[in-house]
Amino acid sequence: MKFFVLAYKNLKRRKSRSFLTIGGVAVAVAVLVCLLGFNAGYQEALTSDVDKMGYQVLVTAKGCPYEAATRVLKGEAGLKFIDEDIYKQIISDPDIDKITPLLVQLVYDPEKSDGKGGFDSYSGIERSYMELKPNVKLKSGEWFSSDDADEVILGYDKAESIQKKLQKTVGDKISIPGEDTNLVIVGIFEKTASLEDGDFFLPLKTAQRIFEIEGKLTSIGIKLKQIDRLQAFEERLYPIASIQVISMSQVKGTILNLVNSAKILIMSVAFIAIFVAIIGVINTILMSVFERTQEIGIMKAIGASKLDIFKLIWIETLIICTLGGIFGSIIAIFGGNFTELLVRKVMPYAPGGRLLLITPELLLFSFFGVIIIGIISGLYPAFRAASMRPIEVIRSGE
Amino acid sequence: MKDFAIRANKLKKIYSSEFEKIVALKEIDVEIKKGEFVTIMGPSGAGKTTFLNLVGCLDRPTSGKLDILGCDPAKSNEEKLCRIRIEKIGFVFEDFFLISSLNSLENVQLPLIFARNFKNNTNPETLLKRVGLDHRLTHFPNELSGGELQRVAVARALVNNPQILLADEPTGNLDTKNAQGLFDLFRELNREEGLTIVVATHNIRLGHSTDRIIHLNDGKIEQDERLVK
Ligand SMILES: Nc1ncnc2c1ncn2[C@@H]1O[C@H](COP(=O)(O)OP(=O)(O)OP(=O)(O)O)[C@@H](O)[C@H]1O
Ligand SMILES: [Mg+2]
Repeated sequence: MKFFVLAYKNLKRRKSRSFLTIGGVAVAVAVLVCLLGFNAGYQEALTSDVDKMGYQVLVTAKGCPYEAATRVLKGEAGLKFIDEDIYKQIISDPDIDKITPLLVQLVYDPEKSDGKGGFDSYSGIERSYMELKPNVKLKSGEWFSSDDADEVILGYDKAESIQKKLQKTVGDKISIPGEDTNLVIVGIFEKTASLEDGDFFLPLKTAQRIFEIEGKLTSIGIKLKQIDRLQAFEERLYPIASIQVISMSQVKGTILNLVNSAKILIMSVAFIAIFVAIIGVINTILMSVFERTQEIGIMKAIGASKLDIFKLIWIETLIICTLGGIFGSIIAIFGGNFTELLVRKVMPYAPGGRLLLITPELLLFSFFGVIIIGIISGLYPAFRAASMRPIEVIRSGE
Repeated sequence: MKDFAIRANKLKKIYSSEFEKIVALKEIDVEIKKGEFVTIMGPSGAGKTTFLNLVGCLDRPTSGKLDILGCDPAKSNEEKLCRIRIEKIGFVFEDFFLISSLNSLENVQLPLIFARNFKNNTNPETLLKRVGLDHRLTHFPNELSGGELQRVAVARALVNNPQILLADEPTGNLDTKNAQGLFDLFRELNREEGLTIVVATHNIRLGHSTDRIIHLNDGKIEQDERLVK
């Protein structure tokens, strides 16, 4: 028999109490892992979202640039329109590498989400769209037959849901809720792991015609030949009163700032959870030390040294913290999806990729963190137990 | 000199609290030979437990000299006292003091955990067999009778092959039959292993089955009675 077995047997004796304490530690660890995982994941997801967008610069109607940017990132409409003439005007700018016009429109579909209703996003695009977006490729079918054909290309997820709900795929016809026109599905995009996977794509002219906004765009996506030419480019567009130029890296920074302030709040919650867990561990161990005053005295009487008792109590603390760390990591891994859902609800802008990045390093870090916390919180109870005097204890038992 | 297991010279113990000083032992002189089976008797408060605790290195004397198998507890640090307790002394208590979360066998194994590099021990199963409990190895304390509990405690006290066995009213919680059985076991260990045994008890009849009765009263030795068989 070893110290470890002895410590374990003692914890087993007070099953529910040990279990609750382990639970407290597990929750603290899970919160910590999710939080740190979110920290890394959000940044990565946002960066990849912005990169996937393909634009470095976005031209929109004047308004709040960040609102505009997040709306475009989210594939939402509701933007003010700009004239197509502006597109024609800037297309020949020497600093532009690639440029594409966009018209995004939201349409209410009462059938969406199993009859609950919801908005679908329809994007009017031109061929240049595919040049700007490095990872938008046709999975099946082909590009529109002409630039004002009544045709539609589906995002990957949208294609799947239509296939499932209406058994329709390339070659079939679908309708836009509230409009008379029927559209032929001509193609399906590959998965991009961004929100655009859920969109409908029409030829720009077709979109302008169906939604009766001819000659208008919601935004223009631009990739510059060299990103450091951004300022000069911006200055040249400055005279055009009705538009603004938004740099996506700026937007990214602003969103991250916003998220950071939210993170500080969550961090403090995590610290409270950890603090409460430490108090819980100390309390549990201290209580079991006091309850076992007699037992500890007996062990001393039969030859246990101060160090032995210290070790015994300390190992108990470590077992609690280790088990808490293991369960906490498991909760974090499996509960991560739930957290992700929650985060998507409360965050100002949630990117399309996975928000929670739980890496082995992160788990290891949290795990050793909790062990260190265990080592520290076990010190006091172990010290109290070690300094008990055997004769007093034995006398109190008589 | 080597003959003595325990030798006390003007051994004194004072318990002092905030309000009063209690002199529990008043300069006692006593010598107990190796292989002796000694009873300590006396009214409650006479100092029996105090004496056993001093001999068992659970406490330190206030003054006087104490020699336990050549070691002086007064001159030993905590760690040394611990070693003496582990290597030389076995303790049996009135309330058994077994660990309730461990079964008989594990209770007997317990001192081995603390013994570290001290390897002069007896196999716990052999010991339990010796005290007649080989059919109760995996029973927990709450599943054993008083007599059985005390025999587990004796086995535990013997696992490190001590030279001295100290027992403080070991029969206090036992019926007459079990009490007699325990003393028979003590006598057997004393005869066969040459174990030095010091027992505090109120039971005159049991006391008379040992080699010698030291009568304590009010912290002093009133009478030192050697029994001839
Ligand atoms: N830790 C202590 N603090 C203060 N006084 C003590 C302490 N231990 C013992 N005493 C006192 O010392 C005296 C001797 O006590 P001791 O326990 O040695 O008696 P005893 O002979 O074992 O009695 P009993 O037969 O009741 O067990 C008593 O008056 C007791 O109250
Ligand atoms: Mg007593």
